[in-house]
Amino acid sequence: METKSHKNEALVLGIDTGGTYTDGVLLEYHSRTVLAAQKSLTTKRDFAIGIEKVIEGIRIQDPASIQMVSISTTLATNAIAEGKGKRVALFLIGYDPELVASFQMERHFATPNFYYFAGGHDLFGQEKETLDLAALLEKTNQVKKQVDAIAISSYFSPLNPEHETRAYNAISQVCDLPIVLGHQLSTKLGSVERATTAALNASLLSVLQDFIVAVRRAMEHRGIEAPLMVVRGDGTLMSDEFAARSPVETIHSGPAASAIGGRFLSHKDDALILDVGGTTTDLALIQAGNVTISETGASVSGYKTSVKAANLLSIGLGGDSHISVDRENNIVIGPERVVPLAYLAHQHPEIQIRLKALTQKTWPPPTPTWLEYWFLLRDPGDDLRSFSDREKALIKILKDGPIAIPDLVKQVNALHKNQLGADELIRREIIGKSGLTPTDLLHIDGRHTPWDVKAAEYGLKLLSNHLHWEEPGLTEFIWTLSSEMIAKAIVEFLTEKKVPQSSAHSPDLGLWFFRNSLYAEHPHLSTQIRLQYPIIGIGAPADIMLQDVAKLLHTELILPDHYYVANAVGAIAGSIMVSEEILIYPHLSEAGMDVISYFVQARDGREEFEELDDALNHARKSGHDRVLSAALRSGADNPQVVVEEIADGIDSYRIRLQAVGNPRLSK
Amino acid sequence: MELIRIDTQRAYEAIRERITTLELPPGALIDEGKLALDLDVGLVPVREAIKLLVHDHLIEAPPMGLFVAEVKISELRQISEIRLLLECYCAQQAAKFATPDDLVVLEALCREQSQVPADEPRWLFELDHKFHQAIARAAHNKYLADILDDFFGLSQRLWFLALPHLEFLPAAVEKHLELVEAIQARDEGRAETIMRQHIQSFYDKVFEILQNLSF
Repeated sequence: METKSHKNEALVLGIDTGGTYTDGVLLEYHSRTVLAAQKSLTTKRDFAIGIEKVIEGIRIQDPASIQMVSISTTLATNAIAEGKGKRVALFLIGYDPELVASFQMERHFATPNFYYFAGGHDLFGQEKETLDLAALLEKTNQVKKQVDAIAISSYFSPLNPEHETRAYNAISQVCDLPIVLGHQLSTKLGSVERATTAALNASLLSVLQDFIVAVRRAMEHRGIEAPLMVVRGDGTLMSDEFAARSPVETIHSGPAASAIGGRFLSHKDDALILDVGGTTTDLALIQAGNVTISETGASVSGYKTSVKAANLLSIGLGGDSHISVDRENNIVIGPERVVPLAYLAHQHPEIQIRLKALTQKTWPPPTPTWLEYWFLLRDPGDDLRSFSDREKALIKILKDGPIAIPDLVKQVNALHKNQLGADELIRREIIGKSGLTPTDLLHIDGRHTPWDVKAAEYGLKLLSNHLHWEEPGLTEFIWTLSSEMIAKAIVEFLTEKKVPQSSAHSPDLGLWFFRNSLYAEHPHLSTQIRLQYPIIGIGAPADIMLQDVAKLLHTELILPDHYYVANAVGAIAGSIMVSEEILIYPHLSEAGMDVISYFVQARDGREEFEELDDALNHARKSGHDRVLSAALRSGADNPQVVVEEIADGIDSYRIRLQAVGNPRLSK
Repeated sequence: MELIRIDTQRAYEAIRERITTLELPPGALIDEGKLALDLDVGLVPVREAIKLLVHDHLIEAPPMGLFVAEVKISELRQISEIRLLLECYCAQQAAKFATPDDLVVLEALCREQSQVPADEPRWLFELDHKFHQAIARAAHNKYLADILDDFFGLSQRLWFLALPHLEFLPAAVEKHLELVEAIQARDEGRAETIMRQHIQSFYDKVFEILQNLSF
């Protein structure tokens, strides 16, 4: 590295915390050279542990020379999926409870504590009802000790946030909880999405703040003094201060970073990016050099938000997906992620011997559940007061080492593995699962053999005995199934249509077309699905799992240098962006017939102009200055402001301003 | 989010709390190293926090050493005189300029005060602070509000000194209610008078206690 220490060298550190691995890369920014890469297991109970390990593991000669650290994280997505966000009270002003109920929208609000209040505006930005401030304050007093944050969304607040602002001013005088306002997160008019976005943001505030502080501490331990950036769901970067205020914007930041990293390393401006991780495979499309953005806003765990995010599809298939057998003896891959048998046996050599014994056992023939091992992922210590009796029993048994499911079921006197009652222990990462995975098959093929090859072989042997299927044919079938699942995801992602469930004698033409295109089954008709872009493979298993996919879709697979850590590269490759949307709409007379003046509604203020031109000019100028100044403050180098004006109904306009610039890398 | 700022803020709040609640009593010696250890932050943020507290007049930094500021009756008289003037002016301005929203807030705070159990002095103290902030806000002069908040900070320790003599608290809550009524009625004179009595009786009580404690 000494030879490279010329003056213009700019070292940056990119980190991606995925579902299975936390990846880190040390990169020279200008030449796009990856100088070092490091992988560590993601610790879901505390993401900072994995990050600290990655930062420690990367050889950095002079930590003071690092000029930026950037991080993409599934923290927000995970916290929502696992219900680990903080408790939120959601105040809905001017929403119609009956209307919400009639569409069964209640469960979409992302919090069970939502309350309705009189108030709100109409679609001309005029007050539709008087705001019931007294009721808001009374409710605040009732709930303030039971929640950690408050979210407020008022009807049509993007047009006129007056009621949200008044509620904020009053509530902040009677309680000290953080308060999130809907109009500051979204200028879209969809009221349910806005409320959901505000509630999710409120529930994630302290989660992301704690995370950022933890990353900052890890940096401090290593002597890294540099700006910290966080990747948004659309792949752009924001400063950590922005991220701490609007954590919802980090939803899907991991897959977005992969896509950006894939483009950065491959220099392809049009491509399909496939990121094969341990748990999932994520799809994104790059067109004209940019990640395509979802028009509808990001969805997470069934909650629809108004957050701008990359258009993505994620399927539960990765290198560590569980290969199992369903009730009809069909082979199933995923969606559950387990520790490969090869790895478990590598850690616990006795597993290999036990698996070998199983393959020699003829009566009763061992079922594939014998391949599923549970083990203690971490010792919860001696203080077991918070656990149930069953949980204590499981921990005690597993302290003696990994154990196969049928044995475990017997030892706790249960009848079936569904009765083990270990969900909470698994969620808290105390108990881990192991089983046969694609990673094991790679060990058998000799393509990737860091761990116990024999254990993997015995695992496959048992499955092959059970299914009366010779091993080579079985392996081939599993790989074909995996390729088909990915090809199907690609077709569904690009067409936004569903390929029907496979069944032998389905009369469905779509299914026939899909299968015939992959396998040329028909004697007379040949069909083809040709992907017009190359596939860029990212993630360690991409090399093996995507070769056949590219062939099936008649395209090329590109594996750029360092493709296995492209996600971490993507965390630093994005631009810093600050955006604002300003709404301009007419102020109508009482009768609604005449235009009195024009309102200019920005995120933090509202002004009135007699002439439309003055209103538009003011919006352009003030918005330009605000986004430019915010981008400079966020650390953008020479940010450029792009203004987009959209007519939005009669005499109404939306002015979108974006200040975009590369990170400023000079000390 | 610079760590030094986050840690300084945390250290500042924690040390300030120890001083105002008399856990670190007037005249006590400040040990930076021990505080850093106690609060699990570095020495630098503790020093930064102490600078801020010196500015707040809660810590004294003579040429030798660092001490929690003494509560001096002579200085208290100076503080109380200014605070009396400003709070009364503020009450009068609030009666003039309070909006309906301001009144809703004041009423909500009064209602909450009347529900606080007598054995929750901290809660009552925080509410008292919020109430005075809300009056200042209702006066619609942000500079006045800032100055008053500084003065409130200077009197915080007195509150905890007076705590063992709680009998004046219900009367204070009563006064708050009367004050809100006067503001609602836009009766500037009455609002000013009530505030004067309220503040005066607080300091009278405090002086009485301090003299008995012979500070």
